[in-house]
Amino acid sequence: MKAFFALFRRELFSLAVAPYVYLLLAIWFLLNGMVFIASLERPAVQNDLTLLPQVLFGSQGLLMWLLIPVFPPLITLRLFAEEQRLGTLEALLTAPISDAAVVLAKYLAACLFFLLFWGGVLLLFLLLQWQGAPIVWSRAAGGFLGALLTSYLFLGAGLFLSSWSGNLVLAAGGGAAANYFLLILPALLSDVPGPTGAVARAIFIPGHLDKAFAAGLLDSFAVAYFLLGAGLFVFLTWVRLVSRRWVP
Amino acid sequence: MILADCISKHYGRLTAVENLSLEVVPGEILGFLGPNGAGKSTTLRILSGFLPPSSGKASIDGFDLREQSLQARRRMGYLPEAFAAPGELRVGEYLRFRAGLKGLARKQRRAAVERVVQSLGLQDRIRQPFQALSKGYRQRVGLADALLHQPPALLLDEPFGGLDPIQRQEFRQFLRELAADGMAILFSSHVLPEVEDVADRILVLHQGRCLASGDQKHLQQLARAESPLQLEIRGDVERLAAALQQEPALNPSWQVLEILPEENRLRLKSQSPDPPESSGALFRWLGGQPVEVLEFRWLRPSLEDLFRRLLQGEAE
Repeated sequence: MKAFFALFRRELFSLAVAPYVYLLLAIWFLLNGMVFIASLERPAVQNDLTLLPQVLFGSQGLLMWLLIPVFPPLITLRLFAEEQRLGTLEALLTAPISDAAVVLAKYLAACLFFLLFWGGVLLLFLLLQWQGAPIVWSRAAGGFLGALLTSYLFLGAGLFLSSWSGNLVLAAGGGAAANYFLLILPALLSDVPGPTGAVARAIFIPGHLDKAFAAGLLDSFAVAYFLLGAGLFVFLTWVRLVSRRWVP
Repeated sequence: MILADCISKHYGRLTAVENLSLEVVPGEILGFLGPNGAGKSTTLRILSGFLPPSSGKASIDGFDLREQSLQARRRMGYLPEAFAAPGELRVGEYLRFRAGLKGLARKQRRAAVERVVQSLGLQDRIRQPFQALSKGYRQRVGLADALLHQPPALLLDEPFGGLDPIQRQEFRQFLRELAADGMAILFSSHVLPEVEDVADRILVLHQGRCLASGDQKHLQQLARAESPLQLEIRGDVERLAAALQQEPALNPSWQVLEILPEENRLRLKSQSPDPPESSGALFRWLGGQPVEVLEFRWLRPSLEDLFRRLLQGEAE
């Protein structure tokens, strides 16, 4: 565990002092502010402000289609691809730390750091309430939880893609492509009759945000789906690392 | 302590290492000599647990590097050839992080960092970011990192690269001290004098295969057999060379390799397996010639000369 916490702290520190991360945060906050204002100006929200979480976090919002798939891979690209590019991966993987601890420390540090991204959006809600707007916090909290779980799933995909090469563009681009694949493919297949359509509907990410999280409901299937999805990518990353030591 | 048993590594059709076996016992320094691309780094990467061998087994202190990788890695320190640390970390921060990664508790961490910083003369650099260090200091940080958990085995890939002559001397001395404390050390180099100077035993690698191995004396003999003797004389160099070639007592055991009349120098090559042993007759003969010998010395062979000799020996 000492080795795990040492790496976890180092990953958090490295994210906290990386200038490009602050640039990303600035762009994220700017775009989120714009999306937030655009959501507020929608007629449905103008009539009923309690619908804001559903509009902002749901399938109709730009947040889900534009920002959440793109930003997590920009954070995870540094987890393995950057280490490989800088030549520090060899020293890390020959240190006496298990591959599972390496993957988990890196992933959990990225997850913890990503809370900062959502913290800025939370401030917008607090600002709105301070101005006297009626915020339904159960819906807002559900929306945040759904968006957070989605970003953790996408951080997992980004982590996995980052472990494949030392090319940062491939790591970030591949991660974003994988995220769009997870978003778009179920949407395309959801109208297909039979089990294919049923599975596609069950794994359609924005659908879970519409029906459950942003509506203020905690759907155990959706929570399990996001957590297992993220876990699957973390597991695949571990397999990737372990295979380096095993596959001749 | 460090053991490789018939390890091979193939990348598709390319063979990087072929059936290589070696053992380094505690207190011994094994020098791994070979030109670039000989398979030295690949072997060290296998022995560090970074790469698996295509066949064969490798272990550290009895722990198999594939099946008990973590235990094996706990018992070795490794300095990769292109050692790099995260640029944003200062030297002290980096070493504390690495000590934690190696499982040292907080108190032990501080003591371990102080010990390696002291041993490697990094006191003045502890607050500098890694990216601001010179190549020599980066190597020191890499070695400090490898030594943090006091492993019984040490693997160093081209540790002298980028060091100035004084730093090399210090580094060599430090390696000798570590070996004297019982550490098993395996290091690679493509520079013959570096290996000769510090290694107890030498293994010569070429195209992934072991060309020769043995103690220093053995390699020095091989090297000497390829060494020309250079004479600097006052007198007629060309006449002396002609006389030497006609002297039945010295021809064919000594051959004129090169005549440098402008420099008053003559380079000779002995056919004897141990040229210094056979040079008595030459010097006796020179005493009777109308020249004065101002200087004579054995020219050190280059690594290429040694390889040529080893490859010739293998072909024969």
